[in-house]
Amino acid sequence: MSEKPPFVFPKWINKATLGLLATLAIAPVYLIILLGYGANARTLNVGFSPKQPVPFSHALHAGKLGINCYYCHTDVMRAAFAALPPTQTCLNCHAEIAPKSKELEPVRDSDGLGPASKAGLPVPWIKVNDEPDYVYFNHAAHINAGVSCLTCHGRVNEMTQVYQAKPLNMAWCLACHRNPGPNLRPRNEVTNLNWNPNNKVQLARDLGLKESQLPKNLGKYLVKKYKIASTKLLTDCQTCHH
Amino acid sequence: MFRIQHYFMIGSSVFLLLLLPLMIIALKRHERSATPRLAIIQDMDKMPYLKPQRKSDLFADTRGMRPHIAGTLAREDFIYINQAETQLHPNNWAATHVVLNSKMQYEKVLYGQVLRDGQGDWVKAIPIHVTPEFVNRGQQKFDVYCGPCHGDNGRGNGLVNQYVAQLRTEGSPDAGTWVQPTDLTSPAVKYMPDGQIYGVITNGIAAMAAYKDQIPVVDRWAIVAYVRALELAAAPVPASKLPAQDRPPEPTGKVAKVATDGMQVAAATSQEQKQ
Repeated sequence: MSEKPPFVFPKWINKATLGLLATLAIAPVYLIILLGYGANARTLNVGFSPKQPVPFSHALHAGKLGINCYYCHTDVMRAAFAALPPTQTCLNCHAEIAPKSKELEPVRDSDGLGPASKAGLPVPWIKVNDEPDYVYFNHAAHINAGVSCLTCHGRVNEMTQVYQAKPLNMAWCLACHRNPGPNLRPRNEVTNLNWNPNNKVQLARDLGLKESQLPKNLGKYLVKKYKIASTKLLTDCQTCHH
Repeated sequence: MFRIQHYFMIGSSVFLLLLLPLMIIALKRHERSATPRLAIIQDMDKMPYLKPQRKSDLFADTRGMRPHIAGTLAREDFIYINQAETQLHPNNWAATHVVLNSKMQYEKVLYGQVLRDGQGDWVKAIPIHVTPEFVNRGQQKFDVYCGPCHGDNGRGNGLVNQYVAQLRTEGSPDAGTWVQPTDLTSPAVKYMPDGQIYGVITNGIAAMAAYKDQIPVVDRWAIVAYVRALELAAAPVPASKLPAQDRPPEPTGKVAKVATDGMQVAAATSQEQKQ
């Protein structure tokens, strides 16, 4: 019965240990970077752009033709929800313009110009900018406070097919709720996506002031003028979750 | 030497391999996606309660928001300003303007006409107190609802009309049966009673659709007031007929003198040229 030889690590283990230690040191850092970059709201949320049942182009209607947001989203100053217009609004113009367009068929069907079985049925639009159901977002509150459509929806007047332009996650909302000033503008410029804050003449007209009376810090002035709630209230849980 | 190169090869290939996912993410960040984000943790994102314009399986036609039942009115249809809103809404400006203290006044405001012997009679003047604020409101609403077709100056050549004209010259069938909108400063509109303009906004006329669902009652009257303002602007009044504070300043003595001197010089030079 020969004695069992003692176990000796093979020589390559020396190098492998070095590699293992290096991996253990780099892996957590790498994973944090990967998750932080890959799973943040900017990466996940922005760019959602479903194909809609009717290829409505905001770039043409709101951009080239200069139709104001309020023309279709009429109740947004009064209601929490920025309602999509009834198909009747489309037919204000499209009864005459492109009356036989195939792309507009769902609109005409809904309005009762197509087969009777489809009359009155809604066009199944897909909601793009959607908050989770436990978030209470009120459009009227924001618009009357002078927050532009642009702030949350991006340059819709340049979008052929609407996409989500902002992350709309909680950290993003709170960034503005902590310091609303920079995102405010005069109320009647809310739907003007090409608003230029440096146009003093227009600004004076919007605020009903003389050019010499214009406030140095417009954000601060508007926070006071539109009676924006304090940061403490704006960042309270129940302001958005109730 | 060979060993160091060996390690370098392994190290750099591992580095590139680790970089690959980050590059894929960077590319994806700038792409549009037709599917919504992947939510591993659902967190009650979607609850079964109804939100506006959501689908509901309770009804055969899948509409969560129910249409009006025939023969009924929503409370807001009665008149678009309800009392609670008047007091609570920070942006409600109508409360100080509209007084509905009689049935006749109510008819005037809501229908733009008064019934006389069973016949509708258009209201001659806006039955609401008109202030500069009211006309400004009218301008805002005019630019939103009327401007696209009638043009912001009311001359009937808005951007939509220009676009259709362009389509027509290109021979596109999309131009359809479009007719140029009415010039709101023309005599046809100028001599219309205010109530009738209100009626046209409310119920539409010829190719123009009814706007009663898009524009609240008081805003329609504000638009009528602004259309009148546009008509005034289209037919300028001589300065001498303006109230004193609105008149442009008279040219001062010095400027006038320079001007006459200039004319004399010009006259002199022309005489010299003749000679």
